[in-house]
Amino acid sequence: MTDAGSQLIDYICKEVIRRPNVQLTVDTPLVSSGLIDSFSLVDVLTKLEEVTAMRIPAGKVQPKDMDTVSLMLSTARRIGKPKK
Amino acid sequence: MPAQHSPASIPFATLTEALAAAPDNRPFVTMWFDDDDARTYSFGEFKRWSNSQAVLFKEHGLGEGDTAILIMPQGVALMAAFAGAMLLGAVPSILAYPTFKVEPAKYRFGLAGVSANLNAKLVVVDDSFPQEFLESVSLGDQSNLIRVTSLPPISESDGLARVPREPQDLAFIQHSAGTTGLQKGVALSHGAVLRQLIHLGDSLKILPADRIYSWLPLYHDMGLIACFILPMVYHLHLVMQSPTDWVMQPAGMLHLISRYRCTLAWVPNFTLQFLARRVKPEDRKEYDLRSLRALINCSEPVRAESMDAFAGAFSDCGLPPTALQSSYAMAENVFAVTQSGINGATAPSRVWIDSSKYQSERIAVSVNRESESAPCFVSSGQCLPNNELRIVSESGEPLPEGHVGEILIRSDSMLTGYYNRPDLTSLSLRDGWYWSGDLGFVLDRELYVTGRKRDLIIVGGKNIYPQDLEEIACAHPLIHDGRAVAFGLYNPDLGTEEIVLVAETEELFDLGDPSLVEKTIRASIVAELGAAPRAIYLKPPRWIVKSTAGKAARSATREKLLAEHPELRMG
Repeated sequence: MTDAGSQLIDYICKEVIRRPNVQLTVDTPLVSSGLIDSFSLVDVLTKLEEVTAMRIPAGKVQPKDMDTVSLMLSTARRIGKPKK
Repeated sequence: MPAQHSPASIPFATLTEALAAAPDNRPFVTMWFDDDDARTYSFGEFKRWSNSQAVLFKEHGLGEGDTAILIMPQGVALMAAFAGAMLLGAVPSILAYPTFKVEPAKYRFGLAGVSANLNAKLVVVDDSFPQEFLESVSLGDQSNLIRVTSLPPISESDGLARVPREPQDLAFIQHSAGTTGLQKGVALSHGAVLRQLIHLGDSLKILPADRIYSWLPLYHDMGLIACFILPMVYHLHLVMQSPTDWVMQPAGMLHLISRYRCTLAWVPNFTLQFLARRVKPEDRKEYDLRSLRALINCSEPVRAESMDAFAGAFSDCGLPPTALQSSYAMAENVFAVTQSGINGATAPSRVWIDSSKYQSERIAVSVNRESESAPCFVSSGQCLPNNELRIVSESGEPLPEGHVGEILIRSDSMLTGYYNRPDLTSLSLRDGWYWSGDLGFVLDRELYVTGRKRDLIIVGGKNIYPQDLEEIACAHPLIHDGRAVAFGLYNPDLGTEEIVLVAETEELFDLGDPSLVEKTIRASIVAELGAAPRAIYLKPPRWIVKSTAGKAARSATREKLLAEHPELRMG
């Protein structure tokens, strides 16, 4: 698992799900499983930008692109632009 | 000097006449994804796109009086398909597009039921509609299913003569956000829709320079009527996001209102609370909301704390003090029944109610706002012109002012009926009055909506609203916000109802000691409402059944819980 993936999982567990001990993998469905609400994705996207040092245009992201940490990272690679 | 509003008049007999009369070079829809990806379509471009769709639909057999089902993502392509069907004199109906979260079996069930009821001549989906769901579409022998692109036509089709329609002819069918079984198809005539728009336009003092912002889904009445048909008929500019785009960037609403100087918007109550909490103070200074003359809270119970949170958060952004308004609306009346800020009023009224009298006698008696435990209600405004309300008892007797009862509506913009469901129509439309199933009271001509009739819990003669129980449960940090359902269960041994509550926890695994959560919620309910729940069930995320509009479905959730916990039925 990449460092960015670990940071995201850590953030989601502590700040979104608010259970630091819950076990998540990069492929755990988050939105489709109901583990996190679509409205939490705004904050998760901000964190994704931070851990990847990318600017990610929210207008090009759909909730389904953020359903797992793997999908989040591939979304960042696909449409993100390096922050200056 | 700003343009003065003239009493609204719409010199058209049908919606398609109104569209045809729109100036070609006037902007109609700006579809916005981000600042690098936004496209504005003029009325001329929209008319050509609609015409192109009409030609395509005609080639596939759609004609005057036929129904058409449209299942496409939010966007101008969907709007053009809708208008195109109307140009042929057909009766379109927009259904919710499946999202990645949808439960496939539930979506298939709903799609099969609705399509069978509509008996559509044509079903239109986009390029990306999942093939797996197409098998559930009910098609007659003469019906067709086609896929269309989301892009505007490259070349113009030959001119298509608009099929003339009469005001009493059906314009479209709007589906209610049903959960189990069939959603009800609300059939609306051109005349009814235009009369609603005249009354709403008059009440809001619509001006040619008005510009509407929306993220609302087009398959819901608020999005369809206020944020598509209204600007189409009045030839106004609409700035639109899709709901899925908005959820990823909710502050986009404030950005677009600022950038395009939008003057009108309609939102459900939760939006105000959500934006007030989510948009950080340091980010608010980039927004300029001075143009917003009405931000109308509609489609959910109006909450004072949500209105206040938004007003407080964005007052430094130039939000006019009279911008926050409210409305009570439903598809069966085309849209709005009441609107605040009219007839001389500047804001939705508030009233503080004697809690004891309200719960025991179902009477709203106004008290001083400093009175202990006095709940505050925000009004949904006064009746639009040619709209009437009546509050009635269980037996249908009209009730005096301040008494809580079922809201009945009568107007000149009501549904023709529930499509192909005369049984449901006769249940809800009696002697010219529509029985809404909503509860409320009227004070000083202002309507206060308190809840849904079928959901009210009566415990030992005391009225308990499920929404109040659910709010208490959701205040617990381990309960997923918005994911609690309460209902009453009759206990024949006691001769009264008991409260049952089910709530989703934030945790997917290991609840730890759930009894501690239950004890806390139970104690809060007793403290705030004076009633003890019989049972509180904690469930994992996504357990509660939701409607297509995303709201918790009490009846369906109740049935699910009773099926899983048969001990509840034993009293």
